[in-house]
Amino acid sequence: MPDFSPTEFAVPAFVLLILIEMIWARKKRPDAYEPRDTLTSLAFGLGSTVAGTLLGGFAVWVFFQAYDYRIFDFGEQWWTLWWAWPLAFVLDDLKYYWVHRAGHRIRWMWAAHVNHHSSQHYNLSTALRQTWTGTFTFGLLFALPLVLLGFHPILLAIVGGFNLIYQFWIHTEAIGKLPRWFEAVMNTPSHHRVHHATNPRYLDRNYAGVFIVWDKMFGTFEEERPEEENIRYGIVKQLGSFNLLWAVFHEWIGIAQDMWRAPWRHKMSYLLREPGWTHDGSRETSDMIRNSWLKRQAATIEPEEPANNPITNGRKAT
Amino acid sequence: MPTQSLIQLGVSLVAILALAWLAKKMGLGGDRRIRSEDEARKLADESVNGFEPVDIAIDRAGYGALLRDAQGRILVLRRHGALFAGRLITHRPRARLDQSLLTIEAEDRPFGAVTLDLGAEAQVWAASLRRMEVNNHA
Repeated sequence: MPDFSPTEFAVPAFVLLILIEMIWARKKRPDAYEPRDTLTSLAFGLGSTVAGTLLGGFAVWVFFQAYDYRIFDFGEQWWTLWWAWPLAFVLDDLKYYWVHRAGHRIRWMWAAHVNHHSSQHYNLSTALRQTWTGTFTFGLLFALPLVLLGFHPILLAIVGGFNLIYQFWIHTEAIGKLPRWFEAVMNTPSHHRVHHATNPRYLDRNYAGVFIVWDKMFGTFEEERPEEENIRYGIVKQLGSFNLLWAVFHEWIGIAQDMWRAPWRHKMSYLLREPGWTHDGSRETSDMIRNSWLKRQAATIEPEEPANNPITNGRKAT
Repeated sequence: MPTQSLIQLGVSLVAILALAWLAKKMGLGGDRRIRSEDEARKLADESVNGFEPVDIAIDRAGYGALLRDAQGRILVLRRHGALFAGRLITHRPRARLDQSLLTIEAEDRPFGAVTLDLGAEAQVWAASLRRMEVNNHA
């Protein structure tokens, strides 16, 4: 049985690539990095590995229990089936799309995933802002169908590791758009910048992990338009703080406060509805923000190309 | 936790501190300031979707700004690292006026207090903050 964690092997490469991107930033975009933001991002990454070690056992136990009830049996030497690996990779990426989409559309899930979006910067260190509290959501349920199909939990852990490694390099502003065939199929820095953007037109778009085709299939794809507007990163209500623990737990605290104050019939909605939803309309969801922006856009003239756009400077958008 | 994991943790901790130190040493982050009302207006719209200020007061060093829209909502902007973050002030905040310096505490404490050097305008803005409703839920 394979005993292999691809992410552990990738960590030195992550550090090296961050270093290279910092050198790029020094030459081209000093504001692409901010030391305190970088420290918070990296501490997030370290903390998430500790949280995974301490809390991940529950998910492992659930998966092995579910594996006993698998529909198909790939045999004792399941790792020797060559076709199972690419098939599991693709299906796991489809699963990732849906768990990620739920992570943005259900506040309970968002409370754990918001960590990844909490930086106003978008660089390779941002990729390491991984959740500490994923265990306290129902995210693992999305993987259960794959286990029940017969994919061994270890196989899924390995392909999931490769999925995570792929997603590291797309967290950068140093790469513009890639060849059209690649942009059409794969998730790229351009597509993922859109995902991290707080510009109304980009909110809740491009949930893909590796293959952008899922967004195109399920109607959540948005093309990056650097010639029209600069991207702003982070969350709708920026934290304005580098406090690591606040960044980790702020949404959980927000949910608890909202549920405490809300009338009984609305309490669960603060957990299960989309982020920004309120029973009295005092805040805005991403759909409300986009709609009001679209109304304002309809009333204005065509936008001009912004000056000093870091994404289009020196190259023409394709 | 086995010894090997603890060693890995220690090495990782040293690596992240080294990277953050290096980012500081390389002078990354920039020194962005609010230089004009247009810039303050743009930052306000970025902070609160559709916020259109009718009154703007910019900190004399450009580290922040106070803005009011036609509905009387007040937005405070302050520099956060290399970028800016803002908060809508919906109820009377804790505020201190010290000659031209106005210090405002946003409702969420982690955002912190914002001190703006607004010159002669500081008193006018302090008075308008005092006229806001008190938050009875705080």
